[in-house]
Amino acid sequence: MKFLPLIWRNLLRNKLRTALTCGAIGLAIALVCLLLTMPSGLDALLNRVASNTRVVVHNEAGLVYPLPYSYLQKIRTLPGVVGAASWTWYGGVFEVEKGVTFPNFAVEPEAVGVVWEDWGIDAKQLEDFRRYRNAAIVGRGTLRRQGWKLGDQITLKGTLYPVDLQFRIVAEVPNDRAPFLLFQREYLDQALRAAGRGGLDTLGIVYLRVDDPSRVGPLLGQIDSMFRNSEAQTASETEKSYFASFFSMLSAFVTIILIVTGLVALCIVFIAANTASMSVRERLGEIAVLKALGFGRRLIFATLVAEAVILAGLGGAFGALASLGFTALLHARATTWNSSLGPLGSFIVTETILVQGLFLALFIGMISGVVPALGAARRSVASTLREVF
Amino acid sequence: MIEVQDVSRVYRRGADEIHALEHVTLHIERGRFAALMGPSGSGKSTLLNIVAGLDRPSGGVVTVAGQRLGELSEDELAAFRARHVGFVFQFFNLIPVLSARQNVELPLLLTHLGKLERRQRAETALRVVGLAERADHRPSELSGGEQQRVAIARAIVTDPEIVVADEPTGDLDAKNAVEILSLLRDLARDFGKTVVMVTHDPRGEAYVDEIHHLDKGVLKPEAARA
Repeated sequence: MKFLPLIWRNLLRNKLRTALTCGAIGLAIALVCLLLTMPSGLDALLNRVASNTRVVVHNEAGLVYPLPYSYLQKIRTLPGVVGAASWTWYGGVFEVEKGVTFPNFAVEPEAVGVVWEDWGIDAKQLEDFRRYRNAAIVGRGTLRRQGWKLGDQITLKGTLYPVDLQFRIVAEVPNDRAPFLLFQREYLDQALRAAGRGGLDTLGIVYLRVDDPSRVGPLLGQIDSMFRNSEAQTASETEKSYFASFFSMLSAFVTIILIVTGLVALCIVFIAANTASMSVRERLGEIAVLKALGFGRRLIFATLVAEAVILAGLGGAFGALASLGFTALLHARATTWNSSLGPLGSFIVTETILVQGLFLALFIGMISGVVPALGAARRSVASTLREVF
Repeated sequence: MIEVQDVSRVYRRGADEIHALEHVTLHIERGRFAALMGPSGSGKSTLLNIVAGLDRPSGGVVTVAGQRLGELSEDELAAFRARHVGFVFQFFNLIPVLSARQNVELPLLLTHLGKLERRQRAETALRVVGLAERADHRPSELSGGEQQRVAIARAIVTDPEIVVADEPTGDLDAKNAVEILSLLRDLARDFGKTVVMVTHDPRGEAYVDEIHHLDKGVLKPEAARA
């Protein structure tokens, strides 16, 4: 501890260089901390959007392959299933010339309030959705983007099915980020029949709700066994795992980002090592004087490494705390002031990430300080004094 | 106090060998103020470095304060210097980011003294060289003469038996040079330090107890005075 003032004074010798190196390390550590939030952040995001009692059943061959509509009825009869709805992509486009589109699906109106109970759709609006054949539920996100309101009539041009459908908006999904439009499956079925295209006898996927989360696991196996060796085998999964498969590309992206982050950290090691080398080179004479006064090689080595570690530690602490503050601010804004930031609020720098960031900074400091410190400690006093003075 | 027996120092520069010292034998008693003089390249700084434990001879034996320096490892040699030798350099070599007091305190960091005692001893050493009132000034705020006095305070703060000075007046004007020579003489005369000084300065002859002339690495035999 008694050498700390000497180390500190040496750190403050070139304030600009110290500040710049500290800033570079801090920025790298902040970046690393933010990226380390991604795995748990994505998981938290999935937990927010996915229900633990909702199950998705789709064709084992892939999401683009339909399932027979008869599967829905069979699934509804399974014990523990409190509700099930088909989810069939209509592919309707609003204002074709402008390319305005949003996800739109045909569903069973009586099942919506049960399967997606957690969406909190107004009971009266749900009742209207069930009552009117051309009724539509629209997510608040799309409502706002298009400037629509309840009661408005809109027409979508079919792209997957050769029928255009006119809808009356009777309900909204009260979520600022909900983009989709839901309408009665029977409406599409009848329109197709009227157009001489036969009925709608397939569905895209099935959403079902289970009464108890502990029954979800066994039920997944039960559904898939029921349709094994049939014309369309199923793959059942929890809603969370279903959404997670959409994030799989993102996780590959995260892996790339983590690799880049590792390279950034390596660059920072070189920058810090260069700074330490410059600092040592400028002070070779002083170091030789200290050695002449009796400072041993180990002590010289330790003080120089300590200097690099303190510099990196300060930068790391600054960076880690900055990332903590940034994510805390995002979280607070997302939960109180600005709900459109919602997903970003899931990425939180935890105490573990904070400690990991700090340790990485200290490690960077140690690695960057070792080589120049070793060189300075090994140098002969007499020859250095001869060279420098 | 200082016993140099048949010491040689050979440097290698590529294929060439440079004989900086050749079979030098020298004896300096405790409490003497000795000067090593000679032209540039005569080997006087090399001899001073060997006596101070900064360099090792290629041959011969050096005994300082009863310790044969050749028997010590690098770390033991560093500890020996910290305990027994004080250094004064031509260009003062103070640490620019530390105050005069902190510079003087530096060798005390290697002792077991507490913070308060270190501070008191540093102030005492500064008082001895007449710079107590400049204790909080940085080297850049001091004149050359004052900086060299701080360096002398740093050299004596651990109360070493030996003080070595390499051209201590080489970067000073006449007035300051005389003051520094007086101070070094006082260290030997009043405090019993053995002072060994390398100098070109002819004024130094008037202050020292003995002069040893070197030429081309060889000690001239007639050197003796006082």
